[in-house]
Amino acid sequence: MVPSILAYGAVWGGLARQAGLSLGEIVVMCVLVSAGTAQFVALPMLSGGAPAWLLVVTTYIVNLRHYLMAASLAPYLAGLSRARLALVAHGVSDESYALTQARFARYPAHAAYFVGCASATYLAWYLGALGGALLGSWIPDPKRFGLDFVFPAIFIAIVARELRARWQWAVAAAAVAIALGVAWRVGGMWHIAVAGLGASMLGLWLAPRSQTAAARGGR
Amino acid sequence: MRPGLVLTFAAMGVATYLTRAPLLVALARRRLPAWLERYFAALPIALLTALAVPLVLLPEGRPVALWDPQLPAAVLVVLLARLTGNLLLSIAGGVLLVAGLRALLG
Repeated sequence: MVPSILAYGAVWGGLARQAGLSLGEIVVMCVLVSAGTAQFVALPMLSGGAPAWLLVVTTYIVNLRHYLMAASLAPYLAGLSRARLALVAHGVSDESYALTQARFARYPAHAAYFVGCASATYLAWYLGALGGALLGSWIPDPKRFGLDFVFPAIFIAIVARELRARWQWAVAAAAVAIALGVAWRVGGMWHIAVAGLGASMLGLWLAPRSQTAAARGGR
Repeated sequence: MRPGLVLTFAAMGVATYLTRAPLLVALARRRLPAWLERYFAALPIALLTALAVPLVLLPEGRPVALWDPQLPAAVLVVLLARLTGNLLLSIAGGVLLVAGLRALLG
């Protein structure tokens, strides 16, 4: 996980240099935004001279999926004060969400686990980006080492391990169908939000109450 | 460092934070109604599946080639995850298969 984020950070850092960002600007962008996908999307817009408002709006749209992840993580972090919640909220990302969700589905929920995952994710992203920016295009292609497959592999492994009850299979099947349909027809990142929201509807009818309580650490 | 650019990045950061924080803070200590709990129980499966499957089957928005190493690797990850329950092992197996097949096929 950490090596693949490092590698992708390095690729982003190299591209960011090519897009004309200075080292300082790269660091500032990483720390302020801390969202890999949005930062990748932003680079061609930056070098193409897109207006600032378009960058901000695009970032917001690309990151809409975080609403779902935050909503799904929230009950596990009930022990934190509002101020701390506001602080750790910055750590919500695809990677920290996937790891935390996988952990809390089997073990009692500890906020510290989420904070640890988020810190490791971001540290790897910052260091990778800085390394890539310093080394420029000297970084070898991460695809050669299969590192582009790490992210899908994480998500697939977590789902494959958790699928037990029939209703869970139904939700996953619906998510596959909707996600592929939307990704094919619409493109962009819409399929994540649409399939996430849409396929979960099946839970309304199919998920048993007890299963729900178990899935959220018995609360 | 260009101040306009830093300002843009700050605004992008705020936009991103606005997708992360509100629901995390609002929903942490509220007991959800039962129907919403059922909805949220399904959410992780739906979300992670929606993230994963298009990455494998529609990389860059186009259908994957039938001989793409990602396909057998995805099958291997599913098998390893279900048989061993070990996430790290499953991910490593899939990545190694992708890297190995790419090395073989050039």
